[in-house]
Amino acid sequence: MHASPSPGRCDPITLAVIQGALETTQREMTLTLEKTGRSSVFNLAHDYSNALFDHLPEMILQGQDIPIHLGSLMPAMKGVAEFFGEDIHEGDVIYHNDPVFQGSHILDCCMYKPVFYRGELVFWAVCKGHLTDIGGPVPAGYNPDAKEIYAEGLRIPPVKLWEKGRRRNDVYNLLLSNMRARRNQEGDLNAQLGACRVGERNLLALLEKYGLETVRAAIAELKDMADRHMRSLIRTIPDGTYHGEAQLEDSGHGLGTLTIRAEVEVRGDAVHIRIQSPPQVPYFINSYAGNSMSGVLLGLMMFAQVPPPYNEGLYRCVSVDLGPKGTLCNAAEPAPHVNCTTTPMETLTDAVRTAFEAAAPERVSASWGHTSGINIAGRHPQTGEDYMTMVLASIISGAGATGAQDGWHGCGPLCCFGALSSGDIELLEYAYPIIIHRYGLRTDSGGAGRRRGGCGTVWEVEPIGHEMTVVSFGEARHIGTMGAAGAVDALPERKLGRLEIIGSQGVTAYHRNVITTIRPGERARNLNPGGGGYGPPWERPVEEVVRDVKDGIVSAEAAALEYGVVLDETTLHVDLTATAALRNRLQRKEVAA
Amino acid sequence: MKQRFRLGVDAGGTFTDFVLAERDGPMRLFKSPSTPEDGTRAIADGLAQISTALGMTPEEIVSQCDLCINGTTVALNALIELKGAKVGLLCTAGHEDSLELRLGHKEEGHRYDPEYPPAPQLVPRHLRRPVRGRILADGSEYEPLNEEDILEAIEIFRREAVESVAISFLWSVTNPAHERRARELVERHLPGVFVCCGSEVYPQVREYTRTSTTVVNAYLSPVMGRYVQRIDRFFADLGARNPVRYYQSNGGLALGSIMRERAVNAINSGPASAPQAALYVAEPFSITNVITVDMGGTSFDITLAKDGQTKLNRNYDFLRQRLGVPMIHVETLGAGGGSIARLDEFGMIRVGPHSAGASPGPACYGRGGTQPTVTDANLVLGYLRPEAVLGGAIQIDADKAREALDTHLASPLGIGLERAAFGVHTLVNMNMSNGIRRISIEQGYDPRDFALVCAGGATGMHITGLAEELGIETVLVPKAASCLCALGQVISDVKYNYLASLPMRLDEEEDISPLQNLFAEMEEKGKDLLRGSGFPEETLFVERSVEMRYVGQIHECTVPIPDGPISTDTLRLMIEAFHARHEALYTYSEPQNPVELINLECTVGARIQKPPLPRLESGEEGVKQAHDGFRGMIFDDSGKRVETPVYLGERLRAGNRIIGPAAIEEPTTTIILRPGWQAELDASGTYKLTRWVE
Repeated sequence: MHASPSPGRCDPITLAVIQGALETTQREMTLTLEKTGRSSVFNLAHDYSNALFDHLPEMILQGQDIPIHLGSLMPAMKGVAEFFGEDIHEGDVIYHNDPVFQGSHILDCCMYKPVFYRGELVFWAVCKGHLTDIGGPVPAGYNPDAKEIYAEGLRIPPVKLWEKGRRRNDVYNLLLSNMRARRNQEGDLNAQLGACRVGERNLLALLEKYGLETVRAAIAELKDMADRHMRSLIRTIPDGTYHGEAQLEDSGHGLGTLTIRAEVEVRGDAVHIRIQSPPQVPYFINSYAGNSMSGVLLGLMMFAQVPPPYNEGLYRCVSVDLGPKGTLCNAAEPAPHVNCTTTPMETLTDAVRTAFEAAAPERVSASWGHTSGINIAGRHPQTGEDYMTMVLASIISGAGATGAQDGWHGCGPLCCFGALSSGDIELLEYAYPIIIHRYGLRTDSGGAGRRRGGCGTVWEVEPIGHEMTVVSFGEARHIGTMGAAGAVDALPERKLGRLEIIGSQGVTAYHRNVITTIRPGERARNLNPGGGGYGPPWERPVEEVVRDVKDGIVSAEAAALEYGVVLDETTLHVDLTATAALRNRLQRKEVAA
Repeated sequence: MKQRFRLGVDAGGTFTDFVLAERDGPMRLFKSPSTPEDGTRAIADGLAQISTALGMTPEEIVSQCDLCINGTTVALNALIELKGAKVGLLCTAGHEDSLELRLGHKEEGHRYDPEYPPAPQLVPRHLRRPVRGRILADGSEYEPLNEEDILEAIEIFRREAVESVAISFLWSVTNPAHERRARELVERHLPGVFVCCGSEVYPQVREYTRTSTTVVNAYLSPVMGRYVQRIDRFFADLGARNPVRYYQSNGGLALGSIMRERAVNAINSGPASAPQAALYVAEPFSITNVITVDMGGTSFDITLAKDGQTKLNRNYDFLRQRLGVPMIHVETLGAGGGSIARLDEFGMIRVGPHSAGASPGPACYGRGGTQPTVTDANLVLGYLRPEAVLGGAIQIDADKAREALDTHLASPLGIGLERAAFGVHTLVNMNMSNGIRRISIEQGYDPRDFALVCAGGATGMHITGLAEELGIETVLVPKAASCLCALGQVISDVKYNYLASLPMRLDEEEDISPLQNLFAEMEEKGKDLLRGSGFPEETLFVERSVEMRYVGQIHECTVPIPDGPISTDTLRLMIEAFHARHEALYTYSEPQNPVELINLECTVGARIQKPPLPRLESGEEGVKQAHDGFRGMIFDDSGKRVETPVYLGERLRAGNRIIGPAAIEEPTTTIILRPGWQAELDASGTYKLTRWVE
């Protein structure tokens, strides 16, 4: 089915050529950032997004980068442009991270370069990335003890780093003086500026070649086409209001279980999404509006499954109400928030996803494992330099199963949707004084289903010659990943995340966020969750269960308890009679439940 | 060349190309359909054609060749079709899943696609066996090797009838002792099974890349071994004087005995020879910066060489498998003559990556294809001779091409057929020029500093349009364009890459003797091998480079190192060269910040004398004799046809000049000169295309 282009606006060939030029521009920006960045979060983990905006400013191209930034870039760009109003000039470069000005969280620092053509503001080249550190009391920025945003790190409301072509050394100095590992941070700011300049150079070349009028007409048409496509998808849903909800666990701070609700109201080809969440809490899981938009739009994309490229036209038929100010998903100053890009964003996404599942059950996949990870920090025993990093490898969870296939192993978490990269073990062991004893899949962690969820991972570390601080963040230690289409987990505890500290006294398991210290000979082992399953597990073909047991993805015990397949652990011989009976029993039990 | 002939055989997916170079004669081109199930059949067929053309028996030809050289897709095909050996992997306990995790990343372009499958696993999880024993980054042993684990794995491999074993332990690059011992045990207990170690196949830092490279090698080497045995025997039976040389992805030749052990080095053997060939045909024009473009039926291959140097890729995904070994950088796009044009979900015209392939092929082949392809568009534009016959088998049907374009593009978009055809042509050019940007601009090179060199029979129809798109002023189209890769093979040297790893910060106080020693060791290893193959000392050469970065960075820049012993002066030059390279690539450098070394590379090769280029006769009358009527062609979005002269290339003489718009038809390639271009045939058999202003 094709949405037909409207005739007479911009010829189809020029349109495709301009679209291609925009995509190339965005890719070249990303390449510059990745190749020159210092933060392992940039250069190994791909925790960044580059985007192009027009003069309105509406987003005209976003890469396939991280979904955490999917929704937050658009309101942030508008907030920044509004703040400076008429005071935006050729040669300006603006920097910003403040969630109160529609940023995501303070570690995600965003650079905005207005692009002028013949004296007129035509485009913005925008580069957002997760810095290693943003000051505050805890290295790498995640402070589970913060009760207010002021205790989390440096807030940067929109400021000019460059003004009319002049570098503002005073502002650079102010920012860098408030961050750890200053040399690397300055390298990352250089990398971001490089990316914006590459974007500007390409956009100017495009304008020279086709002229402003043609380029503008093409961009308007591209947005219209995206709009028509999204509307055609929404129209497949019968009119009505669909409800979804998801639970956010108590992370050991006495907050109790928090429920986020979503309502998806479809009228013709438009959709209105309403979020309802509990009042904000004195713990770093509050989400300001910009970040919450990302969570909502990821839920929408799990339904829409739109292939790239992406522009703001896609969301023209979508309106969002995040609920009253001062709630978990629409936080107000001084709510602490640094964990928000994963928690509660992933639960918010699940609420929206389940509402769409009610609306279009055949299209929506199971959820992906939520974030349950660690940061590490310490002083290198040889060089004496402080190091700190988010361990992206520790959050690589399992992907959700879809109607078409099993979930990918180790491809999450939900909020990143495969965009992350965990980094090579040897590069990490070379960069930091650590031994990584284990990085691999967790048996039985994938959600049970006709299509199995992907396995979560385990990451186990020991410091060499120094004491290491370990900070855990995220959740998924009490509430498991949501399956879809009738999937059920008989062994939910095997799929959850946790942190284990292995010392001389044995193993201590933590199911909440903590700051702790380990010495050589001790280990921190982080486990994160698998993806949700799809469909009833007793419908999974027996030979696929056998293959999973052979590969150690599923244990023989779980094969019986979750999938109803009775087999001999060594010979893998299946008792077909016992299997038929057990599967029957599992199905009846579920129906009764 | 001491002997009369040299034979190059490039076995591609569809055709096997033959180039027969003669010491004092012309360069002859032949083609025969490929026979993937037994490559010798296509070779026998080609030799029969050569035999007829020369009036000599295959034995007479082969025995008068100084070298028979083979580029092969056998490893590539085994990887595409997943028909390699059954592999078992021994790896460090706790890290059995790094191959499957693939750093936890899903490739771009499929973010929300619910059906994009995980990458194929060459070793299933139950055959990835954990071995306790741990080496640390500094090479020290943290935990001794547990031989019981290895013996247990060997029993599993035996039970599962594993044909090939890969061994890859963490930090084997800084201390290979555990891998070596594991290898001994596997060789003793599993005789006849192929075995290779990470520290041998890819001795560089990056565990995932090394393990993956080693596994791919274990997967393909048994297949390559069987192929090489067959080809070696085929040529030996015909009286070949020397063992067959095989073309590797690094742009150099290798003996069959090496290929059997290192099939991973020959995955992209075919297109890897393009830059060598391009530099060779560009030599008479004193051009040393070339970008080669080769449009086949389903794909479009691009390579680049700057200042006469080819470009190598390291640490890249190839068919979704991570490979580290140096490979000529080939950018491959799904943009060939068979690429299908369609309207996408948004109603936008897209060309490729879906292809009509060889079957059913473009609509105009009349073999049941109904989707419009690039070839169909070129036919409607008048670029292809409408009565052309392909390989004697297919008669072109222009009506089918029109129908396909009209049904799927022109009518739904409400535009004329000609405009739709021109749109497809323009878009495929844009896809190709974006690919060229990736290999040039994204690597820090300005395409306008390069000549575009045309390879493949269909590329000539796009070449002037492509050059315009990129602002390139000079295009070279050799008469041998359609067999350029086979040509590249007969002019290449023998070349072996040696790799090592030496992570260290570079400052004045650092002891650099390990650097010196490692290079000397690699150099001697290579020279010994080549001396053993009979190459005299004066033909041997060595190239060295290191990978460096700023402390804190992850991605390295490759910096060449001058010959001679490594002193503190060399070290200073290396560091200066690194700052300069960083600046060239990324617009800035940080001279005040510390630099570190990661990996070393040493290429040891032997130069082989190149066959001469042809010498065509000149003559003013050529242009007139070559003129072969007119054809209506379309050159812009108006869709208006222009009566355009057609020339037969075989009748043109050296020095003849053709002014565009025009078509030049060679037996195996067609050149379309857009308005504003001219072509001049050089005595060396290459057309030089430049801008022409009236």
